[in-house]
Amino acid sequence: MGPENLPDPALGSGRRSLLTWLLGTWSAGVLGAIAFPVLRYLVPPEVPEATSLSVKGGTASSLAPNTARIVPFGSTPALVVRTPTGEVRAFNATCTHLACTVQYRTDLEHIWCACHNGHYDLNGKNIAGPPPRPLTEYDAHVQGDEIIISKKT
Amino acid sequence: MTRTRTAWLLAAAGALVATVAIRAAGTAPAQGATPAPVNPAQAVTPEPAPSQPPDVLFKDDVHAKAGLTCESCHGAKKAGGGYAMVARTTIAPMCAKCHADAAYMKTFAPQVRVDQYAQYQTSVHGRQMAKGETRVATCSDCHHAHGIVAVRDTRSPVTPPHVAQTCARCHADPARMTPFNRSPDIPGDWSKSVHAEALLKRGDSSAPTCSTCHGSHGATPPGAESVANVCAQCHVREADLFKKSKKADLFKSMGTGDCLTCHSNHHIEPPQASWIGLDDKAICTTCHDDKMPGAAVITSVRKGFDDLQSRMGEAQAVLDRAETAGMLVEEGKLALHNAAEAHVRMRVLVHTFAGPPFDEVLKEGLTAVAQANAAGVDAMNELQYRRRGLAVATLLILGFLATLFVKIRKLPK
Amino acid sequence: MSLRTWFAERLPVTEVQAAIAHKTVPQHRHTVWYYLGGMTLFFFIVQVVTGILLLLYYRPSSAEAYDSVQFIMTRVPFGWLVRSIHSWSANLMVGAAFAHLFSVLFLKAYRRPREMTWVSGVLLLFLVLGFGFTGYLLPWNELSYFATRVGTDIAGVVPGVGEFILTFLRGGKDISGATLTRFYGFHVAVLPAIATALIGLHLLLVQYPGMSVPPSVEEKSKREGRPVPAMPFVPHFALRDLFGWTVALALLAGLSAYLPWELGHKADPFASAPAGIQPEWYFLWTFQALKYVPAHILGIEGELVAIIVMGLGAVALVLLPFLDINTRRSRTVVTWLAIGALAFMAAMTLLAVRGNRP
Repeated sequence: MGPENLPDPALGSGRRSLLTWLLGTWSAGVLGAIAFPVLRYLVPPEVPEATSLSVKGGTASSLAPNTARIVPFGSTPALVVRTPTGEVRAFNATCTHLACTVQYRTDLEHIWCACHNGHYDLNGKNIAGPPPRPLTEYDAHVQGDEIIISKKT
Repeated sequence: MTRTRTAWLLAAAGALVATVAIRAAGTAPAQGATPAPVNPAQAVTPEPAPSQPPDVLFKDDVHAKAGLTCESCHGAKKAGGGYAMVARTTIAPMCAKCHADAAYMKTFAPQVRVDQYAQYQTSVHGRQMAKGETRVATCSDCHHAHGIVAVRDTRSPVTPPHVAQTCARCHADPARMTPFNRSPDIPGDWSKSVHAEALLKRGDSSAPTCSTCHGSHGATPPGAESVANVCAQCHVREADLFKKSKKADLFKSMGTGDCLTCHSNHHIEPPQASWIGLDDKAICTTCHDDKMPGAAVITSVRKGFDDLQSRMGEAQAVLDRAETAGMLVEEGKLALHNAAEAHVRMRVLVHTFAGPPFDEVLKEGLTAVAQANAAGVDAMNELQYRRRGLAVATLLILGFLATLFVKIRKLPK
Repeated sequence: MSLRTWFAERLPVTEVQAAIAHKTVPQHRHTVWYYLGGMTLFFFIVQVVTGILLLLYYRPSSAEAYDSVQFIMTRVPFGWLVRSIHSWSANLMVGAAFAHLFSVLFLKAYRRPREMTWVSGVLLLFLVLGFGFTGYLLPWNELSYFATRVGTDIAGVVPGVGEFILTFLRGGKDISGATLTRFYGFHVAVLPAIATALIGLHLLLVQYPGMSVPPSVEEKSKREGRPVPAMPFVPHFALRDLFGWTVALALLAGLSAYLPWELGHKADPFASAPAGIQPEWYFLWTFQALKYVPAHILGIEGELVAIIVMGLGAVALVLLPFLDINTRRSRTVVTWLAIGALAFMAAMTLLAVRGNRP
């Protein structure tokens, strides 16, 4: 075997270093592809907590006695009521008859469902019309000027 | 002879006696057309053949529990054994002896009503029976004679889910209805209605059956003027809007029966958007054509429904696709729920027969359905983004693997 | 002074480096099975990393668990990826662990002097199953609730201590929030602590005697008078190991993007169990086998007999190196027993899957 058969060292080492460079680049890419999601995951999202256990029910000062408002609670609507006596209460606003969304009637001073004339009192109890069960009640607390509604534990 | 056989023979004998007695008393023919000659078999109470003899049935009876006996209604036992049948025309007055006596009834149930007989006397059945026409219903036909249970008892023939069946025993029988020029189709019509489905299939006990609209003891079909009032018992909003609309006076003057004009009375079907329009299949074209005032409103209302419904269908489809693919689409579903609510409110607002309030709610509905659709599309896009991201990561990995493979190959042995 | 020298003054860096440089791996037709142990380790590392990420957002209470997992899957950036990888990697780890076990069984790598390696390995397998069982409950969905109920019910069958074991596992008489918190504690603290210690021991025990050579290869080399060829661990085996791990990583990512792990419905303790409830695939064979056991065997409750048999089987598995006297015959017995066990488990799993298809 003469010198001409030996592999050219310059060429050999060039190929080797190219390979090493390629390996380095690709592994950096792979590590980046792993690191990027992990780092993004670690940063807390905009909405820091699940909305299915408690939600904000709007400001307390803007809820006058004998009025109510609807707020989304998870995937169902919730009715936040300020009774004529000033108490804040919250219910699942899905009517127990055929799932229409109930409303507050300031003239009747209780909760009413427009679909088939169902009536509920201020405790959520079904008092007239088709609804077979009371509305599910939620816990309503006032923290500062914020109303917080949460599922009853 | 067995007791059952005795009972049957007595029943047949009693029926014969009753028929002869009634004929002898000289019944006046029914008002209107001359009724066909009375068939003795048909003069018998139309309740289905009792499954057991009366004394066995009576054990379960509320009257037995209250301390009454056979003698209380039938009088003393006959000389040859057994009891005399109560004549049909005397059944209601006999029951009323106790059930119209407030002081007496209070001793058993403080809140029970005592106006049933008074109501019965105002009803078609009561008035006919008073004239001696025995082919109409009286107390025992609906409540049965022995084994009477409370109305709320699920075995009762007059508990809401059973009422239509009970009325149908006569009112669906052509042989019984033709003599009175009445259609026997009505119970069948009702059984195809949304109310029947709600009551019998879904178990919604608030859905109306015969007695809900016609009254039970005071059964009289509501007159044309009061149909809207009857429907308004439950459909408050629709009745309210209707009464304030232009159609209220118009329909009254035409005598078409308010709600009945579009919705019919017994075979009430789920309302469709196709009922509204200027084409042949629509109900509006009964009076309207495209030249009359209101054509524009009709067209725009129909278009509103069609629009919203087709968009809701699209939104539902994309949300379903996203969910099946493993994405969670709670907000999209909530928006679609709001769109469905808007749809319900639009149907109610049809009864204004005008543009503006309907159009506002239509706008709300379209906004909600656009949100739902956007949520679904976003989810699908997110899915694509994830798969694209994966493709990139996989490419990187494959590149790495290829290079590594070469490196491994090149390692000295 | 270089960094390496600084560390070398304080830790046996040079010795460790030398050991790694000198480590060799026998090269023969069965070498491919050597990669399985490392593969299991890889999946375990993935579990630890994704598990730590998950517990930054997960809430171990019955009221919040399901919603927190849903939160991770929908609101946390790449939360869906982390959760899906964690669920898939768990299954793949169990698969790799069983494959590793069976390869060691067939290649007889448990022979002297590797008895403790085997024992620690079998205990690690039980731990992995424990991880799977405890982790499965944590999303608190319908399937996991009822699967856990069925699984822990079996524990209660053991006479005498059964009731106690059941109460200990469940944190009470029935599955409740207490069970969830307890399983969470097992899953993220107790089991990881024990596993880390055992893995450390297991890896150490693998290094000292070197890799085991299967009897057939040993005999061949003795016959031909040639030593078994070997490749250096670094870089030859290590790079191939890395190759395998990278393929596994790509597989996990692909599964997460194309077959994301479902969330199911929130558990409702008062609802009746959904039809066709069954445990995860790696428990299916025991579940199905129990179904075939007759109600009574020789007067004793059938289920109890089955549990005892399985218990004895587990003990025999742990003590295998001491039971196999390492003659050609005893090794053949073990091989056939292993084939039988594999066939049995495969058949039971197949039957369970077919039986539950609607």
